[in-house]
Amino acid sequence: MSFRIFKINEDLKEFMPPEIIDLEEKATWGNPKRGVMDLPYSKELLEEHSLCAGCPESAAFRYILASLPNPEDTIIVNSTGCTSLVFPHIALHTVHSLFGNQNAIASGIKRTLEWRFPDKVKDVIVLAGDGAIVDIGLDCTLQSFFRQEKITTICFDNEVYANTGGQESGMTVKGHVFKMAPKGKQWDKVPMWQIAIDSGCHYVARLTVSSPKRVEQVIKKAIYVAREVGPTYVHLYTPCILEIGLNSDDGLEEMRRTDKERFKFFEYMTDAAKEVIQKKKEEGLI
Amino acid sequence: MYYVAQVIKDECTKYNCKQCTLFCPEPNTLMYTDEGHHALVITERCKGCALCVYVCSNLLKRDSIEMVYAENRDVAGVR
Repeated sequence: MSFRIFKINEDLKEFMPPEIIDLEEKATWGNPKRGVMDLPYSKELLEEHSLCAGCPESAAFRYILASLPNPEDTIIVNSTGCTSLVFPHIALHTVHSLFGNQNAIASGIKRTLEWRFPDKVKDVIVLAGDGAIVDIGLDCTLQSFFRQEKITTICFDNEVYANTGGQESGMTVKGHVFKMAPKGKQWDKVPMWQIAIDSGCHYVARLTVSSPKRVEQVIKKAIYVAREVGPTYVHLYTPCILEIGLNSDDGLEEMRRTDKERFKFFEYMTDAAKEVIQKKKEEGLI
Repeated sequence: MYYVAQVIKDECTKYNCKQCTLFCPEPNTLMYTDEGHHALVITERCKGCALCVYVCSNLLKRDSIEMVYAENRDVAGVR
């Protein structure tokens, strides 16, 4: 597990696809100051994914993968959903397990890595949808927060089970109607960011992906705090443009609208987390 | 058959914003070249969502990207 696994044997280089050669030559490895401003020039760790045209979730993936401070030593755990379609196209170690147990898997991986590589920094990140984190996997998610596991949990909230045709989820807003939820939801949206705070997360943020720079800042803070203090939780709004019934170029407008309403930028950190963030800011890493 | 994005070079060189490269949802599709001071589209990867046109024309009022038929595109991604 180091960026040397992307070194290509010189004798075989002429047979390799250009994307793999780009990954060795133009990707930003080994630089903790990498960020979204590298995107216009460098090779990304993501390649030709199968998400819909204009999907805000794919933009979120670009920003998150561009802002990982330590990509060569990062393991991403994912769960079933649209997000899991992207993972075969990512040039990092990823783990896919059963629907909903992503935080339990991540806890095990993090503990094993701490025991096996005590002198190295290894980040374990959970990337999953709202169905996996809040509905089906809420037990595993909360238990990992209670146990103070040092992992970062990132939730892609599209407010519906979009991959299977539009069933209502715990994150659906009260009254919203979808194809498989014709009566409209009768209960309130689950305030997952508040539950995360109450369960012992040290850094919690809620935002949309309409601002790449802000996403970079939040992801870096969450990863650094998880490394040194304890669990962190990031709640990203990535609307499903197909299920809401928008055109492919309307995703950004929808996020800019909700920026002012229910996904107004919100950040919470404990005193221990504040110290870490202050220290990293002084080092120029955030 | 479908549309892809194409940068209008003369308009794009007037600015140094790179916003379209950040907001494009496809990885490594809209890139920026410092030699030519303009963005360019890797047209084989473009899915034609037109989000870059929304950013360039509606948000920034710079009108430097247009959608063209894939058959009529310039392979370099700029015109």
